[in-house]
Amino acid sequence: MKIKTLEEILKKKSSKTEFAILTNLENGDSEIYLPGTTPKGEFSKYAGEIENFFKSKKNGVIENSEIFIETYIKPIKVIVVGAVHIAQYLVDFAKSLNFEISIIDPRGYFASEQRFPDIKVINKWPKEAFEEIETNSSTALIALTHDPKIDDPALQYALKNKFYYIGALGSKKTHENRCQRLSEAGFTNDQIGSIHGPIGIKLGGKSAPEIALSIIAQLVSQTYKK
Amino acid sequence: MKNSFDEKILDEAQDWINANQKVVLATVIQTWGSSPRQVGSRMIVNEKGDFSGSVSGGCVESAVVSECLSLIKDNKPCKKIEFKVSNESAWEVGLACGGEIAVYIEQIH
Repeated sequence: MKIKTLEEILKKKSSKTEFAILTNLENGDSEIYLPGTTPKGEFSKYAGEIENFFKSKKNGVIENSEIFIETYIKPIKVIVVGAVHIAQYLVDFAKSLNFEISIIDPRGYFASEQRFPDIKVINKWPKEAFEEIETNSSTALIALTHDPKIDDPALQYALKNKFYYIGALGSKKTHENRCQRLSEAGFTNDQIGSIHGPIGIKLGGKSAPEIALSIIAQLVSQTYKK
Repeated sequence: MKNSFDEKILDEAQDWINANQKVVLATVIQTWGSSPRQVGSRMIVNEKGDFSGSVSGGCVESAVVSECLSLIKDNKPCKKIEFKVSNESAWEVGLACGGEIAVYIEQIH
């Protein structure tokens, strides 16, 4: 691999552009492939296969060839509602996983940049905040405020937009009340049942980092079921 | 959910190059059966034999390091190495888990 190619890869990685690295295993030539373009030089012979690998987010050697392809796909978007203590640990865990966290909290004293360096913090109510974030069925929501005024609008938005993972912090009792409110707001039992509440897998821990770990573990496991 | 954007090994490769070290990049390109690290897993090795990252769970790293050192010494651009199930001899390099992996090593130049 040429140093120039390595620099280009790092640039694409930091700008979160999706791409693939193509390597000719016989002579060591490597190229960067961008989706929607024709692979350069000798790699163009395998354009169809390269596109298929990219679409299915696969890495590997193309059959009957000496071409290796490695795809770089965007991290999964995770929206955390509540810039609370647990959120700080979620951010730490997410650093070594393929998650990109954005935080929504209308309470200015919580959602400061100082508490969350390098993280997108939106200091608005969920309704306005969601206008600034592009979401789809590959987005996850973690609601941490257990304040209905803040959590409920975010949960409703996530349910309507079919987020693949929705979790809400709070005791069993808090969650029962939450389900009741969502039911009154017209959501079906199936929709309400898809919310992970109380959030997280049972680890037994009660400290902020332990709760964050149990949440992130549940998120990873649901991501692989997707 | 591949962890590609958060993978720091290529950033580290650039740091090593900026520090005037020779760097060989090792990448898992194929696996058969049960193997500890998935395709695309990476490791870097410099001319002193320092390494970072991994291509297995510690099973074949030492062999990969010596192959990378030979690559630098012989000034070759790249090489493909295959590792199979380890045999009875405890000191033989191989994968105790019964898998097979192919690792591609290349100089960054």
